[in-house]
Amino acid sequence: MIGLVSYLVFFAIVASILAIAVLGLNLQWGNTGLFNGGVVAFFGAGAYGTLILGGGPQDGQLGGFGLFYPLALLGGMATAGLLAWGVGILTLRLRHDYLAISTFGIAVAFENLMRNAQWLGGGAQGLRGFDRPLRAALGDGFLYNILFLLCVLVLLVLTYRFLETLVASPFGRQLRAIREDETAARSLGKTPARIRLTAFVTGSVIMGLAGGLYGTFYAFVSPQDILPTLTFQIWAMLIVGGAGNNKGAVLGAFLIWGAWTASGWALSRFAPIEAQLYTGSIQYILIGLVIVGMLLWRPQGLLPERLVVSQLGRTKT
Amino acid sequence: MKRCNRMMVSTLGVAMGLALSAGAAAAQDCTTKIGAVLPTSVDWGRPIAETAQFVVDQVNEAGGVAGCNVEMVLRDSQVDPKVGVDAAKALVDLDGVQVLLGAVSSGVSMPILTSVTVPGNVLQMSCCSSSTAFTKLAEEGKTKGLFFRTFATTGVQAAVGAKVAKDQGYKSVAILYKNDDWGQDLQNLIAKDFEALGITVTSATAINDGQPSYRAEVTSALSGNPDALYLGLYPNEGTAAVREWLSLGGTQNMIMANSLKSDEFRDNVGLQYLGKAFGTDTASPRVASADSFVAAYEAKFGGAPNGPGLANSYDATMIALLAMEAAGKDATGDQIAAQVARVTDPAGTPVTADAAGFAAARDVLAGGGNVMYQGATGNVRFDVNGDVSAPAVVWKFAEESVEEVEYMSLTDVDDFIASLK
Repeated sequence: MIGLVSYLVFFAIVASILAIAVLGLNLQWGNTGLFNGGVVAFFGAGAYGTLILGGGPQDGQLGGFGLFYPLALLGGMATAGLLAWGVGILTLRLRHDYLAISTFGIAVAFENLMRNAQWLGGGAQGLRGFDRPLRAALGDGFLYNILFLLCVLVLLVLTYRFLETLVASPFGRQLRAIREDETAARSLGKTPARIRLTAFVTGSVIMGLAGGLYGTFYAFVSPQDILPTLTFQIWAMLIVGGAGNNKGAVLGAFLIWGAWTASGWALSRFAPIEAQLYTGSIQYILIGLVIVGMLLWRPQGLLPERLVVSQLGRTKT
Repeated sequence: MKRCNRMMVSTLGVAMGLALSAGAAAAQDCTTKIGAVLPTSVDWGRPIAETAQFVVDQVNEAGGVAGCNVEMVLRDSQVDPKVGVDAAKALVDLDGVQVLLGAVSSGVSMPILTSVTVPGNVLQMSCCSSSTAFTKLAEEGKTKGLFFRTFATTGVQAAVGAKVAKDQGYKSVAILYKNDDWGQDLQNLIAKDFEALGITVTSATAINDGQPSYRAEVTSALSGNPDALYLGLYPNEGTAAVREWLSLGGTQNMIMANSLKSDEFRDNVGLQYLGKAFGTDTASPRVASADSFVAAYEAKFGGAPNGPGLANSYDATMIALLAMEAAGKDATGDQIAAQVARVTDPAGTPVTADAAGFAAARDVLAGGGNVMYQGATGNVRFDVNGDVSAPAVVWKFAEESVEEVEYMSLTDVDDFIASLK
């Protein structure tokens, strides 16, 4: 029984971290219509940034800053934000699929940079960074995971509240106006370029937060953590949950990550012994089917976006 | 209606009785679970998992571990750290395994070690993770002695590769290496070894997986006009890169890491081009157990165990199970880890790597003796950091499989490595 609880806590930590990243993507795609195909670059920038800034000295590598943990995490988010700002200035004039392709390319370039630049992040060997914070005081067991989960949940709720407030604000209405019809928005005196950049950077900072937490929890990050699969997983979570709806984004993260892990568990337990070696491939097929099924029968996601004319106006009446 | 109910009740009663008696029967031959997190969805990962399962079958044939049947719960890591760590956590928490085999990539093994097995006090035995980061972690005392790997550190491989170049009289070598943790490690080490022997490295070029062509990489390696080419690659990329190398007029003087010891590579490149290609590998000892591993493997899978990590996977699984046997029933991960030294004791009774060897080991261990496991990769012996050293062999391709060119005993290897320093 304690094993099950312990596993569920572990699962919830990873799912909550991914949910934060999905919320970041939801701001970009769901609310602003920016097709970010390089989620993993910003996630990775957050993870590497946090571990490099908070870590001790490493042989022949950048590091040794040993910052106080919350500062390191903020630094990781800032790294993701800086990357997003640079990328945004270069690419945000592109539309839709062009933006997707260029951001995807940036994510692949980022992965290759980290794989090859051994002085920066340890190359393919990965980066060990620092031990989990407060580990000395709390040990490494179940108690630690529970407290870590609480911290992640607090950050998830804060991110959610922040985004709900942002989306309901006049700025949020501008985002949707740009998403629906940029020319019309411009004709009303809005400046789409700046607003798009702001949304892109904000979403990426949130992804950087998720990456920083991820690196902290595993106390390790390597180029294998930032393969394009992660971008695909996060997109699947948003599509299934419901683009444009923050609750849907969180729900999608838990559902898809749950399906991903539960299918592996179920196949290892119930598949016949001869099929055991092929469960990995079967799992890919199952997950692919779920996503295709969603797109065919419920393309708006489980919790679709609720369109409102003006939320502020509604509360006044 | 009533009758119907009664019938149902009696049927239920019979069914329950049957279930209970089945339960009693099962309790006699109990089951111990071990976990495995391996990349079964990758072409070269599946045989590694098959080999581990093969060991479990052999041990069960010999009567299981501590009187219990062994069941290996296999999970796919998908070479994704998140997925691998989650699978490991599920195995430890839900299935209660005390021994975890895996993973292959260091990038997956490392987070499993730091966030699952060390906190959970579970023995982790990796067949194939080669990163030097594990040694560093162990030196800092952060693995709590729970991590072992049967993949001889890349140092042996690199040193013997450099020795081949020296023996063949090459003055300059170009290096092509797989762009992952293993390849980068290998490249760093062998470049230093070449330098120590006075051999010029004209270029060291990273080869990324899955590219349609490696012309650019091969051209840059060719530009230094080297005497020989060193290949730290896997079969797929190796085949593609060597074909381009040869078609652009590169030399046939090649030195290969053990990962290219594959029939597929030989057939796809063509044996006629590999006459001057020498491979290196950590070697089997000159004892019957190594032959019996090969024979048993061929009988089971219909082919020689040529592929990355197969012998290592065999030894990892067997040593873990031997340690479990030594630790007795219901032992925890740290107790099992403490027994690893007892089953790989150089002064112990030698046992072979098969079902009979396992049965023999059981008797010795039950009598309080120690065992020297003579495995598929040699007389495996771990140092304090859980790393292994091993004898080495130089090989080349032949019509059937490979043939041995030179054998270096453990002392030869150690002396040669020391001479490079």
